[in-house]
Amino acid sequence: MAKGPWAVTGPWVPSQTPAALRRRYFMSFVVLGVLLLPIVGLVAYLGDRPWRLIEDVFALSNKAAALAGFQIPAWHLDVLATVLPFVFVIVLMQVAPIFLVWWEMKIAAHIQIRMGPMWVGRFHGALQTIADGIKLLLKEDIVPRGADRKLHFWAPVIVVAPAYVCFAPIPFGKTGFAPIHLDVGLLFVLGVSGLSVIGLLMAGWGSNSKYSVLGGLRAAAQMVSYEIPRVIALVPVVMWAGTLSLGGIMDAQAGLWHGVLPRWFIFYPVVGQIAFIIYLISSIAETNRTPFDLAEAESELTSGFHTEYSGMKWAMFFMAEYAYMFLACALGAVLFLGGGAPIHPSLSFIPSYAWFFLKVFALVFVFIWVRWTYPRMRVDRLMEFCWKFLLPWALVNVALAGFVFLMRS
Amino acid sequence: MSYFKTVAVTSWGLVKGLGITLKYLFTPAITVQYPYEKLALSDRYRGALAFHPDICISCEMCVRACPSNCISLEAKRNEETKKKDLAWYKIDFGKCNYCRLCEEICPTKPKSVHHTKEYELTFSDRSDFVQEWKTSVPQPAASEPGQIWSQHLTLGQKLGPNPTTNASATPSSPAGMFHD
Repeated sequence: MAKGPWAVTGPWVPSQTPAALRRRYFMSFVVLGVLLLPIVGLVAYLGDRPWRLIEDVFALSNKAAALAGFQIPAWHLDVLATVLPFVFVIVLMQVAPIFLVWWEMKIAAHIQIRMGPMWVGRFHGALQTIADGIKLLLKEDIVPRGADRKLHFWAPVIVVAPAYVCFAPIPFGKTGFAPIHLDVGLLFVLGVSGLSVIGLLMAGWGSNSKYSVLGGLRAAAQMVSYEIPRVIALVPVVMWAGTLSLGGIMDAQAGLWHGVLPRWFIFYPVVGQIAFIIYLISSIAETNRTPFDLAEAESELTSGFHTEYSGMKWAMFFMAEYAYMFLACALGAVLFLGGGAPIHPSLSFIPSYAWFFLKVFALVFVFIWVRWTYPRMRVDRLMEFCWKFLLPWALVNVALAGFVFLMRS
Repeated sequence: MSYFKTVAVTSWGLVKGLGITLKYLFTPAITVQYPYEKLALSDRYRGALAFHPDICISCEMCVRACPSNCISLEAKRNEETKKKDLAWYKIDFGKCNYCRLCEEICPTKPKSVHHTKEYELTFSDRSDFVQEWKTSVPQPAASEPGQIWSQHLTLGQKLGPNPTTNASATPSSPAGMFHD
């Protein structure tokens, strides 16, 4: 029989896993990490060049036009400079779920000591999500007979669209990398992300199904409730930074405490940590993920508001879910983890966007980790937790932050 | 104070849960990548029955021992050697309950009917359940029903080792073992 590590001869007991196997498994992570180093090196080598390249292309095209004897109108370049960042955001939002879903499948599998997808794409099922996407594209689009066809059609669109719009003011690394510069960026993101609730309600009502209605109502109630502690948890951050602009908040976290600890808001004693934890919990609730996934509770509602959806419409709900997860993590990285700031100035040779995405994916890992750890809450406990625990503590946190602020000034 | 105690105890419980899942995240997966990796079977494993017509003495002990009546055979008396010559031998795998009674009762050495460690049996038709061995005619070719599951038996060999893992593939029993 097999001489490989999988030649198991009896029932497998976790506590009896040979130490050698554990060591081998751990070593594979170390080797993978070492293999990832060239990527870091490559990114560090590229630095801000991708952005400079765009400027160079502009300059070159100007020169070429001058040689040919005419002037490129300035508004052409303005339009390009406006459109390109949005193209970037849209491409990012198409690519990010592909990676996130695969990552979620793998982490979920390994937490349950399984392997997850192993075949498609040769390397640990790397292309599994793309295969799933193709399957979803080819699936039949089913509309229930009694459904309100207009609501049923527009609901996924209304859920997805705000998720994309929300990425407009996010600074992807540096203040300058934000597709648009908004002085009220934080307010914009929080406000627009709330619009998706309408889509969820439409999906719930338009499907003409009891499960969908209950799921949509639960989702709406939950998202509206958890929006409040989430926003209030961010108030101390805004108080410290003195601005609602995401780039400004990121810049306010520059520097080090005592030359060691970066001045990120998560490291502000007590207030920063409470704010971060409340933000994290309510963000998980906002994205309808597992400890709070009452909106699609499989055991009660089959799958909530998207019970009656299939194919690409269903996929759009999932794209919205993963986009919101990515958004919550990006906001968390910008507001609490210093955005594109390196953990120590000596590591600043790694460009800011690499740091930004590193922090975002670290937070995404926390989201997935939490999802596959906790069971679902009961619906009354969910509301109780929000209104009787998170909200008071968020308010206490604001008061604490104000007190500290007063003492300082 | 009991409020803060409750909060602390609950939070500690939640953190402990996260710790447990993190521990399991770094525990080797127990998945066996079938059909590229296979578990070692017990020596007493009762897989598909194999039959050797050249050893069989047509005593019909197995036919009588079989509790589900899945074995049948026909033999002719050879006037020269005064022994029975096997005409055909059939096992209905749709009925067989893998009890090893036929192997235990078989008087020949080595056993002419015995269990193998083969468990990858698929039949696409009900008539395929009945496997027939003949001696008076030449052994069946690969396309005939007798070979139909030796095609499946070598699935692991046909697909080759799993490219996604380093573990060496374990081929199952050699092809054509039912007609050697």
